[in-house]
Amino acid sequence: MSIQIIKQGIMDTLQDKGRYGFQHIGIPPCGYMDYLSAQLANVIVGNPKEAPIFELHFPASSFIFNEAHTICISGANFVPVLNDKSIALNTPIQVSKNDTLHFMQPLLGKTSYLAIKGNIDSIAWLNSKSDFSSHIKTNDQFNLFERDVENKINSTKTKEQENKQCNINEIQKHIFNSNEIRFIPGPQWNDLKNESISNILKQPFNTSLNSNRMGYTLKGPSLQLIEQKSYLSSAVTRGTMQLLPNGEVIVLMANHQTIGGYANIGQIILVDLPKLVQHKSDTPFRFSITNAETAQSEYKQMQKCFS
Amino acid sequence: MTKIFSNINWKVQALGDHAIQFYLPQKMDATIISEIKCFNDFIFSQQLKEIKDIIPSYHTLTLIYDIELMDAPIDFANDLIEKFTSERKNIITSTAVNEIIEVPVCYDENFGIDLISMSTKLNLSITEIIKIHTENVYQVYCLGFMPGFAYMGDVNTKIQTARHAQPRKNVCAGSVGIAGAQTGIYPMHSPGGWQIIGRTPLKIFDKDPAILSKFNMGDAVKFYPITRAEFDSLNENEL
Repeated sequence: MSIQIIKQGIMDTLQDKGRYGFQHIGIPPCGYMDYLSAQLANVIVGNPKEAPIFELHFPASSFIFNEAHTICISGANFVPVLNDKSIALNTPIQVSKNDTLHFMQPLLGKTSYLAIKGNIDSIAWLNSKSDFSSHIKTNDQFNLFERDVENKINSTKTKEQENKQCNINEIQKHIFNSNEIRFIPGPQWNDLKNESISNILKQPFNTSLNSNRMGYTLKGPSLQLIEQKSYLSSAVTRGTMQLLPNGEVIVLMANHQTIGGYANIGQIILVDLPKLVQHKSDTPFRFSITNAETAQSEYKQMQKCFS
Repeated sequence: MTKIFSNINWKVQALGDHAIQFYLPQKMDATIISEIKCFNDFIFSQQLKEIKDIIPSYHTLTLIYDIELMDAPIDFANDLIEKFTSERKNIITSTAVNEIIEVPVCYDENFGIDLISMSTKLNLSITEIIKIHTENVYQVYCLGFMPGFAYMGDVNTKIQTARHAQPRKNVCAGSVGIAGAQTGIYPMHSPGGWQIIGRTPLKIFDKDPAILSKFNMGDAVKFYPITRAEFDSLNENEL
């Protein structure tokens, strides 16, 4: 059982839940960007939610299957085409030997996930298969192994399949149908000018084209601190909103540096981060403030969809 | 919310929905860094299932936690402060027993590509810059920027130089640089804005899980000069 890349995309990678436990020596956690869509695709094919998965950006890689497989594509809609026929997202799809998969156009969102039933054979480094400095290339071939018995039993429960169907709509709506992104004010929030605080809460923002796995730079009102201060570097994490000296905000993503010395003005809540990941530069969004309790309870609620 | 031990006043703040940060007064200071290290080692020894990462820096210690395993993070943090302060007196500050890590550096002008301009700006000869850079025992304040990059200080004020306004597109692996009061080594080829004064032949970061980073937070480091011929015979990095 294997799958091969027939044409590489611009920055497609293999990702799992990330590499934790090494940030103290400067190793970025990595892992999937839109973890909700990645978990969804995994669960639909019957994999554990945290299984390694292909993360695709447009123009995305093309694949050929060397055996029959069950696959699922979730997240951004790049109009996937199997041989000559377009296929549905968020649905298990049976592919046959020598079938090819292409992605035609970036219709909705920015990051798509391709899950394949089974265990993708790739070398783990520090307990994770997430690519950090490399990406998948033309002619790369990945073998797939069957998972153990326990997972097979889990994936055949029909009642669970029904539950998943209703969850899919809920998750899709959460990620793609909302222009509100919530954050919790950070340690330097009170160092912002009042006018900047009101701009964050009232003005629209857009993601800029200068956005990648390390961070998304936002376009919006220029923000200012009451006084130009320098801060000693301290830890940052995914979702941290850093204010750059030029007044722009950069939101840190999976491959972020582990510490940072820019003003930390806020933290996008984990459950809303996939919304930002998928937000294209032409659709404005707005920020609103929330608190940790709400953020954590919504995160836990959403994770129940995958258990 | 805070506890006092020998004038060390720990405070804690939530950092969004999946991190908590302990902090001390904001300054580059040897006492603060040894206290951070001490607390860091204490938390590490607790093997807490909720914690995914423990990230020390100059005056902060940040815990990244698993939302699904953590209830009441601020209570959790305050409990840790309480436990730590009550056991603090029994913990030997590890910097006291640390050996000094000696790092060979070739200060050849082909490697130390900013030596000539620094010499002019600082009104010091290159020999003097090397002498001053190799005099101090530096402390590793934290790691970050890229795997294995250690921020060390303090650099003697006589050779402190601000980083380049426009970072270079590529700085070679092993390059030794200065940025204000800090000195450090680029573990791998990378863009970078520090003033480059030399290059070490040592491998600073090794992907081998048994090795990884040459430096850890709290380490003591001293540089010593070597010739180009010695560099060539010792070099472990890709050129």
